[in-house]
Amino acid sequence: MDVSDLRKNAKLQIDGQPWIVTDFQFVKPGKGQGLYKCKLKNMISGATVDRTWRSGEKLTAADVESRKMQFLYATGDAYCFMDSATYEQVEVSEDLIGSDSNYLLDQLDVDVLFYNSRPVGVTLPSHVVMEVTECEPGVKGDTATGATKKATVSTGYTLQVPLFIKVGEKLKIDTRNGSYVERVN
Amino acid sequence: MELWDQCLAAVRTELRGQGMAEVSTPVRVDAPAVEPYIDPIAAPPKYLATSPELAMKRLLCRGTRSIFQISHVFRRAEIGAQHSEEFHLVEWYRVGTTELDVVQADVERLVAGVFAAAGGTPPTKWMHVQFLNLLAQHTGLSLRGDESAPVLLETCQQRGVNQQLYLPGTTAMFADTTNAVSEQVATLYAWTELFSSFCDRDLDPWLAKLGPVGVHISGFPAVLAALSECSEVGGRHLAHRFESHVFGVELANGYRELRDPQVQANRFAVVNGLRRQLGQVSLPIDKPFISDLTSPGLPACAGVALGLDRLIMLAAGRGCLADICLDVAAVEPAQTASR
Repeated sequence: MDVSDLRKNAKLQIDGQPWIVTDFQFVKPGKGQGLYKCKLKNMISGATVDRTWRSGEKLTAADVESRKMQFLYATGDAYCFMDSATYEQVEVSEDLIGSDSNYLLDQLDVDVLFYNSRPVGVTLPSHVVMEVTECEPGVKGDTATGATKKATVSTGYTLQVPLFIKVGEKLKIDTRNGSYVERVN
Repeated sequence: MELWDQCLAAVRTELRGQGMAEVSTPVRVDAPAVEPYIDPIAAPPKYLATSPELAMKRLLCRGTRSIFQISHVFRRAEIGAQHSEEFHLVEWYRVGTTELDVVQADVERLVAGVFAAAGGTPPTKWMHVQFLNLLAQHTGLSLRGDESAPVLLETCQQRGVNQQLYLPGTTAMFADTTNAVSEQVATLYAWTELFSSFCDRDLDPWLAKLGPVGVHISGFPAVLAALSECSEVGGRHLAHRFESHVFGVELANGYRELRDPQVQANRFAVVNGLRRQLGQVSLPIDKPFISDLTSPGLPACAGVALGLDRLIMLAAGRGCLADICLDVAAVEPAQTASR
């Protein structure tokens, strides 16, 4: 693609990596070259960089696609997802999932990012609801002090929760930092 | 709507008050202005004008009066906060004057008039600076204005100016030995690239820091003369050309107009050579224009093109062309669609 086709949200391939244009500014002295000043975000690592291109430069569009998929099951070193529309299944390697496996409940709806038709990343919903499978007995006490205790949820993930939480209750958890948000009734 | 009404009236009052006649040349043209980085929008079998310059100069060849025009112009793929593919140029030519300070005074009056019409606070003062002096101050590059591309690259190296920042394309062009480029094309490319890099890295930030003032930048290198006359001044080869910036925004571009048909035809050919080098289509040459320069000939004159939309934007205290645009469809898409 020509640099003049650059827009916000354009997806580019640079050094074998997919990048998305998150901010875009066009400046041009009347008698000079146009400058295309972009902020780019790596669609896999999330790293951001600033890049400026000039009139006439050629770029490569990235073949990236985000698909709605459901988590099915984990094998030893991979996680299997199914396309909600086509029922096609794909395996995503463990290292791409990382600590997100803490929130991968069966049938959880996620976005799987494909780059050159290969899965390269999984985006979780910002919050998930999971059941408490284990925690210390409930303690009646002063909740205003913000005292917490450990609880384990159905995926095996352990987090700090308020003292009033009991086994069998459902918790809303923030997947961006893994913290307790609220009890769900 | 009132804003545009008042501002358009102010422009006409100012320029008519200077004894100029208003003209209106066709929007569709056979041959648009030949510029390396201005792309016309095709309207087969013609083009939409990128500037009314050639058409107005052909009128000047046939008359004796100073003229002005408020014209719609079109430049492909120029889209940004202060760029639009369609905008208005106020363009005027003073016959019998070749002094740039006379048309710079026109710019100042026009800016004052439009600011008054819009109720804005005009520039507190106007400053005069020389392009090559600014280049030397900011980068250490002391240049004559007619250096060839290899000399520019060498001077950058000697002065410790990063070629990858200021001349990346020129460096690449000379690294590719399979690529035979004419000296004139390479020189135009190198200077245009240096100019663009310098504007972005040094000049624009410097202008932005000057506060609410107007600045006339003159003393451009001869290589960047475009359609202006050149001469040797104090050991430098300079174009009689200026740019006017208000509040850090480029507003106007003025020339002592080039009258020599041979020089003009050669400049168009070099620009087309550069366009081909950059993989862009070369543009048709306006042969009737070149022929008019030969006979009857262009009277000695100075001219200016001023971006009216940007001036109104500044006068209205806004930072974005969309804020003052009268395109109802662009401003209220939902409302228009439901009609």
